[in-house]
Amino acid sequence: MSTISLQDKHHHDSHDDHGHGHHQETFLTKYVFSQDHKMIAKQFLITGIVMAVIAMGLSILFRIQLAWPDKSFPLLETFLGKWAAGGRIKPDFYLALVTIHGTIMVFFVLTAGLSGTFSNLLIPLQVGARDMASPFLNMLSYWFFFTACVIMMGSFFIQTGPASAGWTVYPPLSAVPKAMPGSALGMTMWLISMVLFVASSLMGGINYVSTVLNMRTKGMDLWKMPLTIWAFFLTAILGILSFPVLVAGVVLLIFDRSFGTSFYLSDIVIGTQILPNEGGSPILWQHLFWFLGHPEVYIVIMPALGISSEIISVNSRKPIFGYHAMVYSLIGITTLSFIVWGHHMFVTGMNPLLGGVFMITTLIIAVPSAVKTFNYLATLWRGNIRFTPAMLFAIGLVSFFISGGLTGIFLGNASLDINLHDTYFVVAHFHLVMGSAAIFGMLAGVYHWFPRMFGKMMNAKLGYLHFWVTFICAYLVFFPLHFLGLDGVPRRYYAFTEFEFMQKWLTVNVFVTWAAIIAALAQVAFLFNFFYSIFKGKKAPQNPWEANTLEWTAPVEHLHGNWPGEIPTVYRWPYDYSKPGAEHDFIPQTVPFSQTMSSNLPHDFEGNAEAERIQKEWEAANKKEEKTDLD
Amino acid sequence: MDLALQQQEIKFDAKPKKFVLWLFVVSSTIMFGGWTSYYIVFSASKGKGHGLVLPDAFIYSTAVLVASSVFLFLASRALRNGERGFQQLFLWITLALGLVFGVLQFQAWSGLYHSGAVLINNNAAISMIYIVSGFHLLHIFAGLCLIVNSLVGSYREIPHERAVYKQEIAAIFWHFIDILWIYLYVFLLLNS
Repeated sequence: MSTISLQDKHHHDSHDDHGHGHHQETFLTKYVFSQDHKMIAKQFLITGIVMAVIAMGLSILFRIQLAWPDKSFPLLETFLGKWAAGGRIKPDFYLALVTIHGTIMVFFVLTAGLSGTFSNLLIPLQVGARDMASPFLNMLSYWFFFTACVIMMGSFFIQTGPASAGWTVYPPLSAVPKAMPGSALGMTMWLISMVLFVASSLMGGINYVSTVLNMRTKGMDLWKMPLTIWAFFLTAILGILSFPVLVAGVVLLIFDRSFGTSFYLSDIVIGTQILPNEGGSPILWQHLFWFLGHPEVYIVIMPALGISSEIISVNSRKPIFGYHAMVYSLIGITTLSFIVWGHHMFVTGMNPLLGGVFMITTLIIAVPSAVKTFNYLATLWRGNIRFTPAMLFAIGLVSFFISGGLTGIFLGNASLDINLHDTYFVVAHFHLVMGSAAIFGMLAGVYHWFPRMFGKMMNAKLGYLHFWVTFICAYLVFFPLHFLGLDGVPRRYYAFTEFEFMQKWLTVNVFVTWAAIIAALAQVAFLFNFFYSIFKGKKAPQNPWEANTLEWTAPVEHLHGNWPGEIPTVYRWPYDYSKPGAEHDFIPQTVPFSQTMSSNLPHDFEGNAEAERIQKEWEAANKKEEKTDLD
Repeated sequence: MDLALQQQEIKFDAKPKKFVLWLFVVSSTIMFGGWTSYYIVFSASKGKGHGLVLPDAFIYSTAVLVASSVFLFLASRALRNGERGFQQLFLWITLALGLVFGVLQFQAWSGLYHSGAVLINNNAAISMIYIVSGFHLLHIFAGLCLIVNSLVGSYREIPHERAVYKQEIAAIFWHFIDILWIYLYVFLLLNS
């Protein structure tokens, strides 16, 4: 029996189960109902990519409608049938498109696809654990996510179409099934899908936190963890603390819709019919929703920030600038994100004093965000930069985080927000700061850890093509939208033709749509690269990027339990790049200080007097040698 | 080979898994926190709560649930002392009390229903009583499953560490839902 058998295999009660889990994996246990964190990570990634392609396709559809509202595209009718009768997208379907695009992108791609992939892959590998705290729960997490995806997509195949109340599903639109076609069965499916999704996120998040806190290898104290792990850890905490509130809100919404309670409903008249519901308040949904919703945007961006911290440091061949500051700013963002949700609700008739409080907390969150940005720039500064595709995407993230973050300061002001609320300015802001930035972080992670996941290299040239086209087009799409917003153009409107002040923006819409189409085509380069390289890519070396973290010490061939024999011990932090006096420009975490006498610095020993004495003796002896050599 | 297996069995590490349960406790607390904050904001803005005298069945069910927690504590202690017979006895009592609690909750609902305070209500505060007690009852159901799990383990005479683990996760969860119910009940009493 191998020595790598796992503590986690033991929830089987009988001993017989034990051996067979390792040696005779069937297709079903290896690829489908796998409990191995690396396989689950791949499942999350590929499901996330599929969902991203779908959501991107939806966005192209509604961009076509926005650019050419009067034109007929018979092809659309061929594919979409009655939802594009006459070759033009129906208003109800347009609303469904923006709703499902937002839902899929925020939750299914940038929450599950991003955290699910990289937390699963990297947490055990970078902290030095055999697997997650509960591999079974981990597997369950994926299958709940998968079911949620299927139900969400299933709503495209029903008579009344998918949910259409916007991704925030504000009542009463979402609470009254008769309000519009999308409020009927599609909305119910949305809610069911979301409950499953939250269950999946919680199972995942709980696992991540428990693994990080309990299963680190010898020597891996919290301050020796890579910033990726810090980011995933704090993201998971955010999820655990905020997602349950969404469930609480969703449950009440389900009761309002399906059982006739009045949690969110009051004084509704449909046509000539007065609904019996009375006394509820739709604003309360907004409170419950945004108490999750705002932490959610940090759930989306923090893993991306963690990933780029790692990638930027590795590819600048420099220690990350301000490691502690990076961690504290993540903690700061985590804490602050719970007390800013009101900035989504400035125009709900909120008490101005309360609005002021939310404004101040919102603006304070710019501080840790700026600390992170400056630290990225300082890490890049005079680095020995290697422009790998992953590095380019990580730098792209920093760019989007800055340009999108600046407009956040505008929107965080209660007085400015009264003008900008629900306009394209908001759309531009969050698509840059959390949409593009997070997806670039995710893509950076895919390029960087592809060798770790599949044992193959991705093609760098296609990666560069993918990066440049996507990067330029993302700006071409979202930058002009700011100006629409400043002019007061509201989001989610079906066509700009009916309003005189909006008509001048039609040409801009055509431009933006073309940019979006080109950006979408650029993703073909990525998809081809990704799937081709899985099978036909160049075989990956052990440590292709010459990185310090633990995952690159595990064998390229995946094995259940990650390391054959003992898990490596960790002796140093993960950012010893280009250390003066060192033999190579990187020193993996597993190299003890006794092997790097020439590059050790006094603060490396953290006040360990014995180690300092040995180092001093060594230095004194070496100096003498040098002198005698010179003589 | 056998020796190796035995050693691995000893190395069984319950800590991360227990931690998973604690985190679940946290997130569950927050879900109920979401509902009670809804209640607070709702009643503050409308100037009214549920305005009911809560049925007596809730008092009895609370007492029953506290008693069940006591017996579960005794079961854990019996297991620690190696008295599996007593552990099983106390677990059976806990299980029975848990079921009685469920029955009493249904009685309380029926009392509410007959007094006119129905779920489909234009006073959302009254609907909320059903929501929180209903979802709490779902947690009770999950807790009963954990108790059965520990009971089955006890009868199968699984190794001590694993028995302790099963007993502990049942205990953590059950005491949590006990305290949760007390919180909810007191909350509903104070915010009528």
